[in-house]
Amino acid sequence: MRRSLFTRVYKKSTDQQYESATQQSESEFNIPIGLTLKENVEIIKKKLGDPSDLIVRDITVGKNKHKCSILYLSGLADQKLVNDNILKMVQTEISQSDTNSNQSGTGQSEPNANPSEASQSEPNANPSEASQSEPNANPSGTGQSEPNANPSEANKNNPKSSQSGGTQSDPNLLETIEQHVIAITDTKKGQTLYEVINAILSGNAVFLLDGVNTVLVMGTTGYETRSIEEPQSEAVVRGPRTGFIENIDKNITLIRRELKDPNLRFDVHEVGRRSKQKVVVCSIAGIVNPDILNEVNRRIKTIDIDAAPDSGFVEQWIEDSFLSPIPQILDTERPDHVTYSVLQGKVAILVDGSPFALIAPVMLGEPLQSIEDYSQRWAIGTLLRLLRFLSIFISLFLPAIYVALTSYHPGMLPTKLAFSIAATREGVPFPSIFEALLMAVTFEILQEAGIRLPKAIGSTIGIVGGIVIGDVAVSAGIVSPAMVIITSLTAIASFTTPNYSLATGLRVLRFGLLAAASILGLYGIILVFIMMCIHIVNLKSMGVPFSSPIAPYFLGNLKNLLIRSPIITLKKRPPYLEPRDINKINDGGKSK
Amino acid sequence: MKPMNGAGIISDRDILIAVTINILGVYTLSLPRILAEETTAADGWVGILLGGGVACILAWVVAKLTLLYPNKSFFSIASDLVTKPIAVILTFLFTLQYIAITSFQVREVSALAHQYLFDQTPLEVISLSFLLVVVYGVCGSRAGIFRLNALFLPFVLVGLLVVVVVPLVFIKTENLLPVFQTDFKGYVQSTYSSLNTFAGFGIILFYIALVKNPKNTPKMAVKGVIFNTILYTILYIVCIGTFGNSTTANIFFPTFDLSRTVEIPGGFFERFDAFLFLAWTIILFVHSLMAFDIAVMTLMMVFKKVKKIMLVITLTPLIFFISMIPKDYVELTHIARYISLIKLTSLLLVVVLLWSAYKIKGGKQSE
Repeated sequence: MRRSLFTRVYKKSTDQQYESATQQSESEFNIPIGLTLKENVEIIKKKLGDPSDLIVRDITVGKNKHKCSILYLSGLADQKLVNDNILKMVQTEISQSDTNSNQSGTGQSEPNANPSEASQSEPNANPSEASQSEPNANPSGTGQSEPNANPSEANKNNPKSSQSGGTQSDPNLLETIEQHVIAITDTKKGQTLYEVINAILSGNAVFLLDGVNTVLVMGTTGYETRSIEEPQSEAVVRGPRTGFIENIDKNITLIRRELKDPNLRFDVHEVGRRSKQKVVVCSIAGIVNPDILNEVNRRIKTIDIDAAPDSGFVEQWIEDSFLSPIPQILDTERPDHVTYSVLQGKVAILVDGSPFALIAPVMLGEPLQSIEDYSQRWAIGTLLRLLRFLSIFISLFLPAIYVALTSYHPGMLPTKLAFSIAATREGVPFPSIFEALLMAVTFEILQEAGIRLPKAIGSTIGIVGGIVIGDVAVSAGIVSPAMVIITSLTAIASFTTPNYSLATGLRVLRFGLLAAASILGLYGIILVFIMMCIHIVNLKSMGVPFSSPIAPYFLGNLKNLLIRSPIITLKKRPPYLEPRDINKINDGGKSK
Repeated sequence: MKPMNGAGIISDRDILIAVTINILGVYTLSLPRILAEETTAADGWVGILLGGGVACILAWVVAKLTLLYPNKSFFSIASDLVTKPIAVILTFLFTLQYIAITSFQVREVSALAHQYLFDQTPLEVISLSFLLVVVYGVCGSRAGIFRLNALFLPFVLVGLLVVVVVPLVFIKTENLLPVFQTDFKGYVQSTYSSLNTFAGFGIILFYIALVKNPKNTPKMAVKGVIFNTILYTILYIVCIGTFGNSTTANIFFPTFDLSRTVEIPGGFFERFDAFLFLAWTIILFVHSLMAFDIAVMTLMMVFKKVKKIMLVITLTPLIFFISMIPKDYVELTHIARYISLIKLTSLLLVVVLLWSAYKIKGGKQSE
């Protein structure tokens, strides 16, 4: 309750902040595009700080040599696409329309595009037309302040356009160019400076036409990306080798490629006030519980940060309890994991610039599952799951139990074992808790160093850690051999956790247990264990109890949690997610 | 987030689990001793069965009573049937009772740990650390408590299974004989004692209001009592069969000592009781957690505006001091008897009072 109160207040205030902030930044840029080409280009340049990588190409189009410009950022847009499909097409249009006008006099392309006005009102109707066309554009565009400003602009413009000989109706020329000239499928129109600048910064090419207050935005985004590689953090022996990359469009493609379901949905959000990243919520309509989907979408809308370099930022912003050491949202690099989860009725979140997708809601046992369990035959899959439960127990409790047994309850060990441990601890000058802490901290340092070191000298860590710390520390009599065994077993067991975030979270708990064991022995361990359980049952992931399906328990679902029962028996989606459609297509082969 | 005493946060299966664990938590550890004192040989099982039978009826009646006003709290039912002042008094009676139960549990855990795990650590430290964990649990959501029950159920069941099954090889039949030698008074006393144990089902009086679909809840409550009756009968027979009547009567926690006879083949651990200690701590913990929660809940029924966290902070030192009052195990046993007397009487009092009030009013208000 106290937590919910806290977060609720917290979120409400950020909501307000966010709204006011977006209003501010939008009003700053919410200037409508003017009619003069030169002015527009100047404003865009000024707003972007006249960058060197902004390419402005001025050309003319049509038989009337109408002025126009193509703008894009050189590194972000695909230059070949811009050259071949925009620039070349516009240039050839000139020559074509020239020949057309030579042949048929008035020009063929125009009457098609301009059903009523073009041919008739060409010479004389310029002022009236300008005044006509503007009210049409206004309601969709900006608001009331314009009509006052526009007439003067229009007056300024019209002489110019008549001087330059542009006697055509301008919006229709833009329409014609979009319809017949530009060879790019993804086009849309922009009315405000905000849209245009955003489009340029996203790598789109922008086509501005003189005398038109609408801008053509063309999807030409194409920059260098990493090729699809095997995921680093979740290696499998059997299973697809694809991993996500930093480009969100490619990642979406990876998911679409696996699921050719028309119900696959991608809800697009924009996150990051400065980075303006695309964040996509992926789900399957008809399976996912709408409440969960809405909750995820709602929480993503509350995000208010400058930039999210990784999906971890999004995760920490939208997770239920930020105080918990346990991650309540799963991260994965594997598209097959995402498709599997989405098919279960979960929601995946992709963040532009991060090769890690997020999966929510996630339950207690799920970070312990590898997607490979399903590729293997069920017996070994089951065995591996049980093994992971065992190893997570070892990695959490073993050092604490060692400390408790040696310092408080030596009588619980068999006499011979107790004696041999006591004999190895003979020359050790420290109490066992200090010994355990020393080794645990050393191991953490080794692990951290191993990650940060360049790969070429990474093996040094193995030598230094293994030989110096392990062997020499024992022969120097600082730690006992039993403690070295305990530490290394703990370390190895902690690496079996398939999910790295969970493994790091549990490292924190291990120290808590060590402290409890040193104060209250086994009783302390039991109390901390109970506290961990209390924490887990109060934890939620996107509003779904984190301890499902054990508590509240769904017996039928345990066969996919504790064990991995044969594929043909896994007929239902997890009931705690309350999916729209609980039954999988899999009916055990009965419907032959 | 649902409202604090919002209805519909648990299922009736949760009630089954809660009743089972709660009954287990009361005197399972010492029940064989109490019964062995009152009866000869293994005749205590008669008392358990009779007590269980009475408890079944009582549980059913209590559940039905609360269901007359579905999803309403005990306080609102009581103030509806009998007047509001009496309802306040009744509610306070339960508050005091559950505070006492929590204190008793806290003390019992420390007694257990003191006796079997470490004899040098001061009692106060053991009790306080346990109580603080209970407080942490109470501060969480109420639905979380029921999820905790479900999460702990496997531990409890496995622990009990080990306790009951493994000593079977040690049972000596001469310990169980002769049969039916107890006098009538012994049977009555043992029935009363076991009924005390079963009084743990009293929690349904408060928790039924939270059940989403309470139609089957009386059945579930009765099932919980029946399960415990069977378990206790087996446990008692195994206990007497292993230790004999007179030994059982002189061990403070016979059930726990039963688990100490367990030996793990392979000899990696000399004594297995540390791991059964986990099961027992969990049982006692869950019981005291629910008792504390009910104490807070009953107070919140009366003082609607006070925050939960404030009540918890106020009650915690109180419970700790009460738990430190008994000087030794003997006093603890006496107090246990008083507590169970109060518990049973208050339960009976409430049931009789509310039922008769309901009958006098003709049940019109419930429609």
